[in-house]
Amino acid sequence: MRNLTRRLEFFLFPADSDHWLGILRIGIAIQVVLYCLSLREDWNDLFSLTSVGLIKRDLTEAVLSANSHLIPRIGWLVDAGAYLGVNEQTVLTVSWWTLVLAGFCLLVGFFSRSAAIVAAILHLCAVKSTEALTYGVDNFTTIGLFYLMIAPLPDRWAIDSWLSKTGKQDQHLQGFHRRILQLHLCLIYFFGGITKCAGAGWWDGTSVWRALFRPPFNMIPPELLIVGKGIFPALSVSVCLLETGYSFFIWSRKTRFLWFAAVLAMHIGIGLAMGLYLFALVMITFNIAAFGPGFAFSWKRPNGPAQMVSPGKATWFAKRLLARRDATFLYRC
Amino acid sequence: MACLGLHLFFIFSVCVRDTFSIFATTPTIFSPKLAKYWRGGEQSVSAALGQRLAASNPVRNAIAVYLHGAGIEAGYGFFAPNVPNNYKLVFELHYADGRMEYEIPRVSSRATGLRLSGLLDQIADTSYEPLRQMMVKILTYSVWQDHPNATSIRAVFGIANLPTPGDFAKGQKESYEPLYVYDFTFRKADPKQEAP
Repeated sequence: MRNLTRRLEFFLFPADSDHWLGILRIGIAIQVVLYCLSLREDWNDLFSLTSVGLIKRDLTEAVLSANSHLIPRIGWLVDAGAYLGVNEQTVLTVSWWTLVLAGFCLLVGFFSRSAAIVAAILHLCAVKSTEALTYGVDNFTTIGLFYLMIAPLPDRWAIDSWLSKTGKQDQHLQGFHRRILQLHLCLIYFFGGITKCAGAGWWDGTSVWRALFRPPFNMIPPELLIVGKGIFPALSVSVCLLETGYSFFIWSRKTRFLWFAAVLAMHIGIGLAMGLYLFALVMITFNIAAFGPGFAFSWKRPNGPAQMVSPGKATWFAKRLLARRDATFLYRC
Repeated sequence: MACLGLHLFFIFSVCVRDTFSIFATTPTIFSPKLAKYWRGGEQSVSAALGQRLAASNPVRNAIAVYLHGAGIEAGYGFFAPNVPNNYKLVFELHYADGRMEYEIPRVSSRATGLRLSGLLDQIADTSYEPLRQMMVKILTYSVWQDHPNATSIRAVFGIANLPTPGDFAKGQKESYEPLYVYDFTFRKADPKQEAP
């Protein structure tokens, strides 16, 4: 049991560089900025109770309150503004600019942590107040911002890290946070895959046809689409297998590259063929950050030449292992 | 490590709950007889997530805030188990002089158009009639604000029957049929709705 626990610790706290965090930060920051820009024309109409909007936030926020009154929403910001004598339109405009600014700060890594927190809160408020108008991409952006909030920022590509001249972050802490993202991504694909497998349309190709034919995803003219109808069954079965098998085959050295490349190709295909560019971007960001360059999973610890370094370089994880009485040795399986 | 365990437990539970919910409510390759088991499973997992507790319960609220804050309050069954139907909303604007105009929802960008499509899917999925009516009413109200002289607006919510590849090759196009129809009248000071 003790041996298993220690193996679990080695699995959860692998030494890793901060490249993945840089990729996640930049990808999610671009996502936040593009989210703001894509809604620039509709922003005030979406959130204002007085403008001509598609749907009023009071209804969405009322539905949200059925879940909990404590979930952040734009209404809180408007109420705070009203208390300070600032009108709704001004609050909404300032919110938009603040979110754009936080996105840019996150992109260049300037005040990374604060930018991640501000972006996460404002994005969450915006998404929750327009929940009826949200789709998968908003959830994934929220997930990305949440991980950025708790991750060991700044990474080496961030301006913060050049300005502060601090040493490298604890590699085991980096590895731990990357592992969380990896496990989360595996769950996303696994459950996405098995729910698709349960639909008959994903076995005969009908679902791929419907997904590409259905407005507003009909980027490819149906006349052109019908030419390739013979590959729909193979394509849709591949999607089911790719997603369901991701959790298993992404870890093995032999199948990792194949799965990784195929999943990236799938997301690029979805982005181009269905016009879901932001969705493709966020999924590609997650994949590259989680299993992209620098990822080399192994149950065995790598060997390397010994090099004397200062005792102060001992990481938090190493100190923790040193302090544990039961972590003297590990049984070989 | 305990925090990680809890975080993964929440992700896993939400995924399982939503998967059971999808299996219980939509046609799948599984036997319809299993629906009651899927529903039972969904309810058990919902209980584990504190959703059966009273709305004011602090545990339920804490879990809800965490799930929403971390973006893990929903599962990942996009386009599953089947790609949903396409829905449309058409407005018939009636004027005092007997004139009639037609409108569809207007958006400023393709990005908002994508979101509107998701909203129409949600309206179709809403089983609670007053909520569905309210959602359609708000969309209708936004049209009325552009056409304040309209005496009444009829909102026609329709579903598209998409052809199969074989049918499309034979020349069949998608066809729409009305699912829900509501009549609304609005006044400048006091928006009022007639019984649909």
